[in-house]
Amino acid sequence: MRILNFFSRLYDEEILCKMDFLKNISLFKGTRRSQLIHVLESLQERTYLKGETIFTEGDIGRALFIVFSGKIALSRLDRSTQKSETIAEVHPGEFFGEMALLEEMPRTATAYALEDTKVFMLFKIKLESLLFARPVIGVTIAAALAKIMSARLRAIIEKPQQQE
Amino acid sequence: MPTEGVKQKTSYTQFLLPAAIGLALIYFVVLAKAAIFPFILSAALAYILNPLIRYFEVRGIKRSYAVAGLYIGAGVLVFIVVYLLFHFLSFELESLQQSWPEYAGRLQQFMLNLNAKLVKNYPFLASLRLEQKLDHFLEVAPQFILELLPALTLLFVVPFITFFMLIGGSGIIDYLLSHLPSKHAEIILHITSRIDASLGNYLRGILTEACIIFLISFTGLLAMNLNYAAFIAILIGISSIVPYLGAIVGAVTSSIVAYLQFGTLVPIVRILAFFTGIRFFDDWFLQPYIMKKAVKLNPAIILLALMAGWELGGIWGVIFSIPVTCIIKEIVQIAVELQETEFHWKPKPEPTRISIPYT
Repeated sequence: MRILNFFSRLYDEEILCKMDFLKNISLFKGTRRSQLIHVLESLQERTYLKGETIFTEGDIGRALFIVFSGKIALSRLDRSTQKSETIAEVHPGEFFGEMALLEEMPRTATAYALEDTKVFMLFKIKLESLLFARPVIGVTIAAALAKIMSARLRAIIEKPQQQE
Repeated sequence: MPTEGVKQKTSYTQFLLPAAIGLALIYFVVLAKAAIFPFILSAALAYILNPLIRYFEVRGIKRSYAVAGLYIGAGVLVFIVVYLLFHFLSFELESLQQSWPEYAGRLQQFMLNLNAKLVKNYPFLASLRLEQKLDHFLEVAPQFILELLPALTLLFVVPFITFFMLIGGSGIIDYLLSHLPSKHAEIILHITSRIDASLGNYLRGILTEACIIFLISFTGLLAMNLNYAAFIAILIGISSIVPYLGAIVGAVTSSIVAYLQFGTLVPIVRILAFFTGIRFFDDWFLQPYIMKKAVKLNPAIILLALMAGWELGGIWGVIFSIPVTCIIKEIVQIAVELQETEFHWKPKPEPTRISIPYT
């Protein structure tokens, strides 16, 4: 019993919880738990308070954001009405801003926190390090990213057809 | 809607408090320079060791246990290495002190003969007064070496402070990062992660390289039965922080010692071949493997940095000159990139366009 107590004190519950969280992210699907450790090492954590802007439409994107807790809104400026429209809400376990991992182009939407939100950021430079230093993990993430991009593209194409 | 989205009038009073705190900090650092110094060294050591702690931390082990484990493990290892090294070093330093007058006499005699020959053939060399300069050097050299030893007290103070810095983790940095203006957090974190990647890789790479070169030199010189192998190997390890210097220092010092010890040319040739081998091994195997992800610094820039460091802060200026140069180089690169992307020095890059539709 004492040994069990010792081991439970040795382990950091918060880190184990983060690992479990990452395991369920679609971007890291197919990545083994031992490999997720290196992913966690590459992630940067930050908490945004309710109402804070994460990035603005037109900013150069440099990171992908994974929502750990809280809620994020993505909005886009309607050129004709000059009004901002919410296009999506991002919940825990979902991510946004993945375009920044592929090319450093201006963001196509503004992101802001709807409530106090903790996010993990994966910077392009860290993904590149993973790709070179740990190709197995890097390739798995790159393949998952390609699948997600394809699914999003398909959704855009299929949307008008469904409306018809 | 985002609160920061609403355009607010820029008020410069908001910068007053941070500026006042910054100035007070700088003033404090200037006043308490000597007291701050071990803390700067400890912060640098904590920065170098942090990935090791992070390695265990991301595997679920609590930070405090990881730090304690590292210190116990490193303590045992360092104790063994230091004990062995001091055993060699103290003996060697003692014997160097005893045999120095004899060596100095032989070296002086050799230089006198050489100088006499040179002056005979080239009379203008007499004005250089090489003999007096050599006399002075031979007088101060052992004293200078022994004066370096008190600096070893830092070896006990710095790990002590580092321990508490490692236990505390990146608390202060996290606090500062979480209080950055949210809109600029992404770009600031991008810059810090880039500096961290190149600087961290450079420092860890160069230290690993210095350790490997020290071990090879020590083993090689010991195998060649050269006196003061440990002392020369330490000198080579430290000087190998400057590219090419390690092998040159090693070759020159070992050749002089070999000449004084054996008095023949054969051991010198062996030593020169050995250091040429180390140089090629370093160039072909160590550097491409260890330093592949680090910032690339031209040897001329490194020399300039070291000289400027010496000018500005003496021996400690030399120690910090290379990391500071790494940071400056990365900042300059990032600044140029930002000028191009954020301030449109270059036309905006065109997104990749494909005419064939999604099928």
